[in-house]
Amino acid sequence: MSDAETPPDTTPTPGEQGEDDFEPVEVFPESTEMDLRPGADNCYKCTSCDVSCPVAEVDDEFPGPKFQGPEQWRLKRKEDASVDDSIMSCSNCMRCDDACPSGVPLSQMHNTARGEYVDEEMDKLSREYIRNRILANYRTLAELGSMFPRLTNAVMGNSLVQQINEKVLGITAEREFPDFATQTFREWWNERGGPQVRSEDKRVAYFHGCYSNYNTPEVGKAMVRVFEEFGYEVVVPKQRCSGTPMFANGMIDDAKRAAGINAENFAGLIPEGYDIIASCTSCSMSLRQEYPELFDIDGLEDISEHTYEAMEYLRIHEDLDSAIADASVSEQSFAYHAPCHARNQGLDRQAVELFRDLDGVNIEDVGDSCSGISGTYGWKEEKYDKSMQIGSDMFDHMEHAEGNVGMTECPTCSMQMEHGTGYDIKHPLQLLEEALV
Amino acid sequence: MAITDDVLVIGGGIAACTAALSAAETGAQVRLLAHKKSTLRQASGLVDVLGYAGDDGPLANPYDGLDELPEDHPYRIVGEDGIRDGLRLFDEAVGDAYRGGHTDDNALVATYGGTMKPTARYPESVASGLVSASGDMLLVGFESLTDFDAPVAADHLEAAGVPFSVRGVTLSFPKAFRADAKLTRFAKALDRDESVEGETVRSALADAVADELDGESRVGFPAMLGDDHDTEVRDELADRLGVPVFEVPTGPPSLLGLKLEDMLFDALDEAGVRIASGNPAVDFEADGDRIETVLVDQKSRMTPYEADQIVLATGGLVGKGLDSDREHVTEPVFGCHVPHPEDRYDWSEPEAFGDHEFARFGVVPDDELRPTDADGESHFENLRAAGGVVGGAHVAREKSASGVSLATGAVAGRLAGEDATQ
Amino acid sequence: MSTSPSVLVIGGGSTGTGIARDLAMRGLDVTLVEKGNLTHGTTGRMHGLLHSGGRYAVSDQASAKECIVENRVLRRIAGHCVEMTGGLFVQRPEDSDEYFEKKLEGCRECGIPVEVLSAEEAREQEPYLAKDIKRAIRVPDGAIDPFRLCVANAASAVEHGARIETHSEVTDVLVEDGEVVGVEVTHKSGTGPYVHGNPGEVEEIRADYVVNATGAWAGQIGDLAGVDVEVRPSKGVMTIMNTRQVDTVVNRCRPKGDADIIVPHETTCILGTTDEEVEDPEDYPEEGWEVDLMIDTLSELVPMLKDARTIRSFWGVRPLYEPPGTGTEDPTDITREFFLLDHADRDDLPGMTSIVGGKLTTYRMMAEKISDHVCEKVGVDAECRTADVPLPGSEDFSVLRDYMDDFGLRSPIGRRSVQRLGSRADDVLTSIDPNPVVCECEAVTRAEIQDSLDTAGTDLNSVRIQTRASMGNCQGAICCHRMASELAPEYDEDVVRASLDDLYQERWKGERHGMWGEQLSQAALKHMLHATTMNRDADPAATESGVDFAAFDDGAVADGGRDAHAVSEVDDGDY
Repeated sequence: MSDAETPPDTTPTPGEQGEDDFEPVEVFPESTEMDLRPGADNCYKCTSCDVSCPVAEVDDEFPGPKFQGPEQWRLKRKEDASVDDSIMSCSNCMRCDDACPSGVPLSQMHNTARGEYVDEEMDKLSREYIRNRILANYRTLAELGSMFPRLTNAVMGNSLVQQINEKVLGITAEREFPDFATQTFREWWNERGGPQVRSEDKRVAYFHGCYSNYNTPEVGKAMVRVFEEFGYEVVVPKQRCSGTPMFANGMIDDAKRAAGINAENFAGLIPEGYDIIASCTSCSMSLRQEYPELFDIDGLEDISEHTYEAMEYLRIHEDLDSAIADASVSEQSFAYHAPCHARNQGLDRQAVELFRDLDGVNIEDVGDSCSGISGTYGWKEEKYDKSMQIGSDMFDHMEHAEGNVGMTECPTCSMQMEHGTGYDIKHPLQLLEEALV
Repeated sequence: MAITDDVLVIGGGIAACTAALSAAETGAQVRLLAHKKSTLRQASGLVDVLGYAGDDGPLANPYDGLDELPEDHPYRIVGEDGIRDGLRLFDEAVGDAYRGGHTDDNALVATYGGTMKPTARYPESVASGLVSASGDMLLVGFESLTDFDAPVAADHLEAAGVPFSVRGVTLSFPKAFRADAKLTRFAKALDRDESVEGETVRSALADAVADELDGESRVGFPAMLGDDHDTEVRDELADRLGVPVFEVPTGPPSLLGLKLEDMLFDALDEAGVRIASGNPAVDFEADGDRIETVLVDQKSRMTPYEADQIVLATGGLVGKGLDSDREHVTEPVFGCHVPHPEDRYDWSEPEAFGDHEFARFGVVPDDELRPTDADGESHFENLRAAGGVVGGAHVAREKSASGVSLATGAVAGRLAGEDATQ
Repeated sequence: MSTSPSVLVIGGGSTGTGIARDLAMRGLDVTLVEKGNLTHGTTGRMHGLLHSGGRYAVSDQASAKECIVENRVLRRIAGHCVEMTGGLFVQRPEDSDEYFEKKLEGCRECGIPVEVLSAEEAREQEPYLAKDIKRAIRVPDGAIDPFRLCVANAASAVEHGARIETHSEVTDVLVEDGEVVGVEVTHKSGTGPYVHGNPGEVEEIRADYVVNATGAWAGQIGDLAGVDVEVRPSKGVMTIMNTRQVDTVVNRCRPKGDADIIVPHETTCILGTTDEEVEDPEDYPEEGWEVDLMIDTLSELVPMLKDARTIRSFWGVRPLYEPPGTGTEDPTDITREFFLLDHADRDDLPGMTSIVGGKLTTYRMMAEKISDHVCEKVGVDAECRTADVPLPGSEDFSVLRDYMDDFGLRSPIGRRSVQRLGSRADDVLTSIDPNPVVCECEAVTRAEIQDSLDTAGTDLNSVRIQTRASMGNCQGAICCHRMASELAPEYDEDVVRASLDDLYQERWKGERHGMWGEQLSQAALKHMLHATTMNRDADPAATESGVDFAAFDDGAVADGGRDAHAVSEVDDGDY
């Protein structure tokens, strides 16, 4: 059944969802044990992963991905329970995956070990656990916040509240919470009456993720308008968090629940000719790679095979090069940062390579360093300084770039870019919209 | 619809980068299709051309050894001109960051194992530490960095009869890290000149080394002296010590290799080469003896890339451009012929440093570097090969790995570019 | 001079070190000589199975009964050498029900605790077992580290006053007046811990009694004494996998056959084995078909073995013996019992006994019996205590049971270190600061390497077998030279280099048997690191001819400016 037949549901009842999603003191049932020791067969100890790790560079407490991944797994015996606690210092940027020339399933190893550690060794009443659970379930927070966006923005921006967050929860007071949009993307979508283009053979289902919905609906709108411009039917199925922040915090069960709901709502569209499009590179990463690696749920393989990042999809399915070559925009310059998760999907160069041929645009890649925020990592009070140290290269390069507007696909990278430089940050889809629509 | 370019270079190492730069020079639109991080990160960052040939070596001049190489050696195919062209592209790509271009002669460089080896190009940070230059030397190692034992390396160099005296000391790094802190942590601390007990780490390190300095005219460290700000780090240490400071190239984790990789990719960017990385080329579609499309495994789905000409530079056994099982050695992307003995026990020699067959494994190029089948016919008219995937050279013995990559990359890239832009 | 009777033990395997410990604990004056490392012979070349006795429960019940007794003893006295993995005898659909029942019955008769598992239960315990297996018998098999066991026995013997000389080959057996009175030993490098490159010295060691515990080499020692010892050496291959596909010993439940056991050993699994009689225990063919047979046959039990990475293979030689005249054709039919050959009774040559046959699991019992025999011969009346007194490292079980203390190490590294060091962990791991990891594959720290050097001297292969350093998937590619550097500053650079070369060559030898797929890629990387990056294959320090340093680029540019960078024109006017 497609969205075309069933109008996408309106904003769900928050109370109900909240209870379902967020139970900070629940003790997990025994998760299915995964044995990833055979993955160590691929490692030939080249250390490419270690030199790619942005955390190991600034944090000597973190022993690096080679140890956390293939070495720790290989040393495991079945009865050994303990996973080294340094696993919690991994930011899940997945750059090690991108580096490994030998196909070691590093991030899968990290995710699984982290899940085991949180499951078996972390105190479920500890401040760290509760804080991580809250951060991992950003959607729940956002859903509540966006019910009263102005009030929430005012409260969260209040420095007293920020201090309390830091003292009580361990969420850094250095960062400003992102503003909630006064109208969510889904509200806008419903208001416009859903799809405005219908097509039998060009149809996509949009996975907007939490951030485009609650915080930057303009990205979601740009996606819809660009795709409709190319003649696509866009539908917006009901959805939950892609799971990225949950993986990063070892909240595998939360992620699995959300994955189940996403599978239910997206997998059925695929036989009807829909491909799945994400505008957030971490969401597309999760649907493509982490879902099939971590969960055995019907439909996830299909979803993985049919998920694309938005611009990637157009590059493959449309003559985007020519469209861009024929277009022009008013003079503007961008400092572009490729998110780590985009890198992993081979998407780190596409914005720069495409837009450098767009009349009026000057775009510079600010280097291949990690922004340092890695989703929830940089929000943790004890990681904040390290996060900023990791980001310092990027801030430097941004300041040296000609443009005073940042550009990236990842919502949390954009928070970090803004936090470090004060620049406005755009999503490539917004420029694409300006050029083509 | 496929993503389309004139020349598609598959690979991400030194051969692939050189081929892409070379093809771009012809005016072709070039795309580099890299899978993961290349073997540059495992290599020392030195660029060897030829150090040993036949029974000769170490060769003071690499070109003197060319005639000693077997007929099917890639150098015999591309010739001296090909080697020189590869070096030219390299020198242009890295600019002042590398030395050695002023002469044909090899330099002798100390390795982290305490041996020395002949090399044609070396990073600027290595220059003042040449073993073929005079000046007494102090080598500095650190307690928890087990890869480089400075006193052992120093004694080893003396055992080789270097014409100067050399001494090694082991220090504790001024900033206390956990014993398993990564090398990049040390580099970063120096890069940012982090503070340590009211001092800065660079000055604290200089003080510690100054206490050990006993008239030596140069001081060497394992290659960990900074990353983004390496020149600054080295200059400050040299300034404080009053003698030049140099780095000793290391194996993995090799920051010099990493920096070389960055420089080459910057050069690609500069040359307008497009880059798609992160996913492997795994298959292709062909029409007769022309490859039409290369298929990239983009996380459980194939993305097609189209080009007029293709250069295969996926590396050898280490770079995973060659694969093997108990019976066969294969080139996995295009299935090119890789000759090898039938019995796998003949792939290697019992002596660890014997003349291993596996070291020469690779595709067999024709005189335009097209991989050939068992009958000597090229597999595809628009496919060329460069670097480690090309067989016939025992690069480890010869100390010719980078040179073979540069030379075959330069030639394969140029020919591909010319064919594509005709 | 000691007043207690002196005994010379030849052979540093499990039997020899076990005898040395036993006799030393009984107060005798013991010297043990071994021509290589401890475990140089057969002991270091087995799959590390701690038998429950299940394997012999049908064919050789006497051995089976001994096994289960000693299995329990070793768990008590050698806890840090044993991992109680449990074992399974797995029946495939094509394997006979009759044999399965016989196995079950045999185990019960021998007092071996058994339990029958359904296919589902077996696969729950070992998920990688083939989907179509029929059922399994659970027995108390375990894994034992023979290296650690021998080292611990030797250490205990030394504590009780014994002298242990490794790298000391017996080059003659001294016979005077028709009696063995000692041996002539050629030390490879002088007495005491092994030091590289020193000229050997010859020493006569006289003793009241000589024990020939050289296993497959017993015939050669016999020859030196002028007696015939009819050992029938039989080789068997063992193939080492990179990871543990199973955490339980998995046996095929069928009558004798090749390739029927998988033993989880430390970080790896060992596949075994074949049984082929050979002429010379030191010179026999090591053949690829044997390796292929392990993988192909055992993947019937654990299918993932087919594509899993093997890191090397090695062969061991069983010291099989049968009394003259038995005439067994097939070596697999030769008994696994051990024999005590008193040459006084047998060959009219008093002063020496040889011990042959047997197996690792019952080494202590064998040692006890021969020690009893020796004591009787030399007139000492002392009780054997080896079954009750734990070995060094296994004294304090609390350390082994709850290693909460990670010694400042990452928890898996601390855990592995404690599993190897047992109750010595605290002393060893806190001895050095900083204590970086030297071998990453096997999680071996500098402190453990330094500790092993006390007995290893400069022999890095001895360091290796004590610590497992360089025995992981990179086979020393990353850590060989680090291990060698640990010898400095105590030893000179030339010794460091020679030790490195020895270790590197030893690793290469076994690695060749796994060189395809991932391991060939690993070997190629290793070769590139050591030959290309370090130029160890053409090390100028190791070659006769000197290097003409002046002929090479000295970095100076012709015009004197370092920054001049000739790009397009090559400057050849410099020299």
